Amino acid sequence: MKFHFFHLMPYPNLPPDFRDKYPSVWVDVPADLFDPEQGNRSYAEYLDELEYADTVGFDGICVNEHHQNAYGLMPSPNLMAAALARRTTRAKLVVMGNSVALYNPPTRVAEEMAMLDVMSGGRLVAGFPVGTPQDTVFAYGQSPATLREKYREGVGLVMRAWREPKVFSFNGKYTQLRYVNVWPRPVQKPHPPVWVPGGASVETWDWCVENDFLYANLSYFGYQEAQKVLDGYWACVDRHNLPRNPYRAGFLQFVGVADSDAEAERLYGEHAKYFYRNCLHVAGGYVNPPGYTSIATIRAGIESQIARIAGRANARAEIATLTWKDFVDRGYVVAGSPDTVVAKLTELGDKLNVGHLMVLLHFGNMPRDTTLYNTTRFAKEIMPRLRSRFGDWEDKWWPKDEIAHPAQPQPAAVA
Amino acid sequence: MLTSETVRLPSGRSWHVFGGGTGAPLLWLHGPRGVDAADPLLEVLAARHRIIAPLAPGFTDLAELDEIDSVHELALDYDDLLRGLKLPALPIVGHSFGAMTAAELAAHFPERASRLVLLAPVGLWNDAYPVADLFAVPSAQMDDVLWHDRAARDAYAARMAAAQEDKVEQMIAVTRNLTALTKYLWPIPDKGLHRRLRRIAAPTLVMFGTADAFVPARYGEDFKKAIAGAEATVIDGAGHMLPYEKTPEIAAAIERFLARN
Repeated sequence: MKFHFFHLMPYPNLPPDFRDKYPSVWVDVPADLFDPEQGNRSYAEYLDELEYADTVGFDGICVNEHHQNAYGLMPSPNLMAAALARRTTRAKLVVMGNSVALYNPPTRVAEEMAMLDVMSGGRLVAGFPVGTPQDTVFAYGQSPATLREKYREGVGLVMRAWREPKVFSFNGKYTQLRYVNVWPRPVQKPHPPVWVPGGASVETWDWCVENDFLYANLSYFGYQEAQKVLDGYWACVDRHNLPRNPYRAGFLQFVGVADSDAEAERLYGEHAKYFYRNCLHVAGGYVNPPGYTSIATIRAGIESQIARIAGRANARAEIATLTWKDFVDRGYVVAGSPDTVVAKLTELGDKLNVGHLMVLLHFGNMPRDTTLYNTTRFAKEIMPRLRSRFGDWEDKWWPKDEIAHPAQPQPAAVA
Repeated sequence: MLTSETVRLPSGRSWHVFGGGTGAPLLWLHGPRGVDAADPLLEVLAARHRIIAPLAPGFTDLAELDEIDSVHELALDYDDLLRGLKLPALPIVGHSFGAMTAAELAAHFPERASRLVLLAPVGLWNDAYPVADLFAVPSAQMDDVLWHDRAARDAYAARMAAAQEDKVEQMIAVTRNLTALTKYLWPIPDKGLHRRLRRIAAPTLVMFGTADAFVPARYGEDFKKAIAGAEATVIDGAGHMLPYEKTPEIAAAIERFLARN
């Protein structure tokens, strides 16, 4: 099993009455709630935390892309990954990822990711999400009727730009380019491994399997609720007559490690509440515009996680009333003593069959010391006990071609 | 009651076209919910006209949108249909998105329309009185935006339920139709129509309800200013679904306008 430290970079200072006073944390969150000095401190802390995860042995460190969102201060994950490329040496940079349909032309993604792969000496994992409707449809003005087609065409262009050894022309429906010739070229040949973070769209599964992309379910509602989604994915893998290699799947889980289950509540409870109360407070109209979810997915009865809570008035009200016990009982948060956490993550691994476990060890407005404490305990007491799981499988979705002795930062002395 | 048929064009494109009535042909371009075979407005108009009411691309199958990339290709698609049906210049009456399509068709092919009636048309944009973001309204509340008159809304819903009893299929149809609209209306519904309206040659009547919560009635004046000789009227206390909220008044206004010399 591999372990990845995932950071959402939430804005930590939303007012206590945020839910009552404002309609949404996303799309039209008020500008005057953002204090640049707080932002400056948050970026510094969050990058410290990601860098720390590298030093304590996480396999990957993950950043992602959100727009006009107070729980994700990363409109450009590539900027964060660039900062991390300079200050980390071992962990892979898992950029989860770039919403390809939002870049014009999409070769911008091929270029920036190639830069990251070269800067990091071949440590990039390239994530290509469709992107949430809040990000793509509302913040970036994409028509939901054409978003997925545009995304797939864009991903195809990026892949071809990495693979083709010569200049080529691209005559697409959404992008036309006379000269495609990405410089620099990625270290990894023919390209970095591709991961597709998805909510739950039935057509995404087939597409991932057909293209040999890893499928990652990024959920805030824990492993118990993800069963239906992962079952659907593995059934799709079966239909393609492929083995259920756990390394072709990823999953995201909140985890809090402490001396005891009671101590976990004391350390992490308040910050989990901040996340579920404020960070998931998304206006119902922004979560499921017509056309974003395909008719096939509607028929399959699968709903995105955010749509499920924000799209229904009762679920929207309920989320604010949940207690720490609810978070833990429902598996939204895996928390407690090391034995408890290992037992639950073992269950997660068994049930979902995921080889790539992404963990959120920073919750909502968690301060740096608590995050580093949680990160240390996870790395020292949890990872070693789960590391050997799925050891018989080959991980074909992981960087292989690294530069043996990549250049290191060499601060220049004043002459 | 209108009947429907599938019209296959030489290009291979097939259209689902509703029709009924006798008299001079009249092209009806429907609004956000598609064509209702028991449409009470069309029932009145069918007394003096042969109604031709095609389902907009995407409303039968979203795959139809694959070959239509812009409002220009949308206008071409309708031109192909009128050519295929061998229709001469005829009155075109459209509602909502259908009125926008009617305006685009008449701007692209001015000789196609003998008269033009635009009922609560989308298609223009003014920062001072923006069109509501219909696609950001949760589906359960969407009818609150589209309708003003509760009784008319309930009657319409009852007809829709009678036509399609399966609730899931009903929801899928609504979603499919709205998806088709997002192709042309997202994120701002003016795709250059304000530059093309000057090309419309047909006598034009624009009608809005004063209680339209989707497209403010003020847009009536904007259409009037941009189309030479156009008239604009408002109906008191009608919402965006005015053909179904004020059916007798709208039908009478259309008949008067079409009968005029």
